[in-house]
Amino acid sequence: MSNIQAANRLTPYMFLAPAAAVMAIALLYPIGYMVWASFLDWNPSQRIGEADFVGFQNYINLWGSDSFWESFWVTIRFAVVVVSVEMVIGVGLALLLDRQLKGMSVLRTIFILPMMIAPIVVGLMWRYMYHPQVGVFNRWLSDLGLPTIPFLSDSGWAFASVVIADIWQWTPFIFILALAALQSLPPSAIEASRVDGATPMQQILYIKLPLMMPVLIVTCLLRLIDAFKVLEVILVMTNGGPGLSTEILALRISRTASEFRQLGEAAAMSNYLLILLMIITAIMFIYTRVNDARLARIRAAGAKATQEEEEA
Amino acid sequence: MRTLKLTVAAALVGTALSGATALANPYEPYEGSTLVVNFPAHPHYDAVLEVLPLFTEETGIEVEVDQLQYLRMRERQTLELTQDEGDYDLIAYVVFSKADYVFADQLHNLARFFMDPALADPNYNAADLIDGYVQNIGVAGGFKGYLPGPTGSLFGIPFGSETSVLGYRTDVFEEHGLEVPETYEELLELACLIPELEPGMGGLASRAASGHQASHAYLLHLNPLGGGIFDDSWEPIVNNEVGVQAAEALKTIVDCGIEGSTTFGPSEAAAAFSQGQYAMFLDSIAFAATFEDPSRSTVAGNVGWAMHPMGVERASQTGGFGLAIPRNAQNPEAAFLLMQWLTSARIDRLIALEGGNPSRFSTYQDAELNERFPYSATFGEALQFADPDWRPIIPTWGEINADLGTTLSQILTEDLDIQEGLDGVAERARAIMDEAGYYSWN
Repeated sequence: MSNIQAANRLTPYMFLAPAAAVMAIALLYPIGYMVWASFLDWNPSQRIGEADFVGFQNYINLWGSDSFWESFWVTIRFAVVVVSVEMVIGVGLALLLDRQLKGMSVLRTIFILPMMIAPIVVGLMWRYMYHPQVGVFNRWLSDLGLPTIPFLSDSGWAFASVVIADIWQWTPFIFILALAALQSLPPSAIEASRVDGATPMQQILYIKLPLMMPVLIVTCLLRLIDAFKVLEVILVMTNGGPGLSTEILALRISRTASEFRQLGEAAAMSNYLLILLMIITAIMFIYTRVNDARLARIRAAGAKATQEEEEA
Repeated sequence: MRTLKLTVAAALVGTALSGATALANPYEPYEGSTLVVNFPAHPHYDAVLEVLPLFTEETGIEVEVDQLQYLRMRERQTLELTQDEGDYDLIAYVVFSKADYVFADQLHNLARFFMDPALADPNYNAADLIDGYVQNIGVAGGFKGYLPGPTGSLFGIPFGSETSVLGYRTDVFEEHGLEVPETYEELLELACLIPELEPGMGGLASRAASGHQASHAYLLHLNPLGGGIFDDSWEPIVNNEVGVQAAEALKTIVDCGIEGSTTFGPSEAAAAFSQGQYAMFLDSIAFAATFEDPSRSTVAGNVGWAMHPMGVERASQTGGFGLAIPRNAQNPEAAFLLMQWLTSARIDRLIALEGGNPSRFSTYQDAELNERFPYSATFGEALQFADPDWRPIIPTWGEINADLGTTLSQILTEDLDIQEGLDGVAERARAIMDEAGYYSWN
């Protein structure tokens, strides 16, 4: 290879290098800082350079901490429940409203209003709606002569109550993306299935959902990541209580850093959460690839069959 | 010769006069400078802001106030105090920050200012400051590390401090011929009798929400009942007989409250009392002005005040805020002058008349204040029993406090056995203390 050719090959990389370096530093430096902090016995009154290096001690301490694992399981339970329900309702609504009816655009706008509200406000709003004396839900129950419900003062109800608030706020996110995915499906595929005699349910199960799957997987992943980090709504509604029943990991991390003043341990907790999210992301991307390959095979088979029909 | 004598005499008089002027105005060297102070969003500090312009008027020193919600204020201070040159000349700190700031050597020892004749006002009358507050909020390095003692020093002056008192509905008590509870037995009996006498009304409004609030409510009962979190050797005793008794008292109070009371923080408990949903309220004096304000309270004019009931002793809460000068302050001397001015008897009275919490015994005896706020005399009396060792102000308290508070919440809401729950707290507290080195000398 001549020198000119080698230079030509390197030129794009040289132009890209400064931007790539800035990106790498901006993305990786905070993560590196957090990883380094997790190896320190560091309190906020110290500068990071003054903190003692303790190796994996923070990780070991957390591994043996019952309250950490309780928060960990509460977080997983919360994320799995809210994302599952939101996916079902969001996709269901998208399938239901994917049609050209009068007033549909207004309806769609109304549906997405909840996710435009600041989480703190959502938390306050639901907290007052759940209020035992002045809340609307218990007032309705009383008016109907039914016993009132301890929405936020009973462990089981408190968990259900924060789940409902999250579902109310974030189902529209799934709805918007699912609707966009539905509207970008090739009309020929839907039309072809109709011509072949597929019922509406069969169209949904065998045509629409498989074709929407790449978008749905990314949507699900984004919501899962967000659900694992949820903080403000729960902080305002229950502050993690009663007991530890709604103390999700983000809240515990915040407490460990600000109330317990253990920045190293808080960083270690964040890293456990980061590892969990990386595993989930990896699994979902592997599934996406497998699904993409399956769809590609189906498309190829379809194309081949069409070609054979045309030739026949 | 005569002219020379007159000139010398005039010069001497002039010098003496200028000296006298300097003595009469210790603020002069700092005139025109600007102090930056960090205050919490709190009714006391709202009252302070009403009076603060007078300082600039009298001294020529400008004051810029950064007022933040108190937990955000604490976070901000934590960052600010680690800088080489801080933004704040004077800070208000919440009582449990004392341990962290002093331990990290981030506050000025106030001795150097009180020793400086150019700064210290000889009429300051420190003996008039409320003892319990000074010991609890201002002093560190003595007994147990956070209390006064032969090795202790002063790092802050109480300002916006508070104690606990019992508020009660005079109309309800009169209607049913009830006596104001003097002891814990009477208090608990009344707490559960009132819902029977007044269906729908709770007995005693109390904090109970998971975490710090439940822990705070527990401490309100633990101290007068004669208990503590640790013994003098830092061994946890929260699970002893008295500790269990205090948790039982809290559970009784919450069980005899209205629905949802297990989620109450201080504001919710105060709101429930001020809206007539409870007959008694046992918490900070800071809420008194709200209860007496007809625009915010439906029970204004029907609230009586009494001392925190007695268990085996009288031991009301000490807490709230103090003023301190950060080590990295850029104008520490002028900041001291402001601190001294704010906590002087004259200004303490003015702030109290605006609705602030007095820091001095003499303010509570002021006739005008008692006329405007008739409960002041009771509060002054209660302060004689303010317990400076109301909670352990040590760096590990945050974690132990949170654990105690969540366990108490489980006791209140999930019927966790009290002894079992407190045994767990004691075991975990010991592990935390061990890791922090509290048993190194055993």
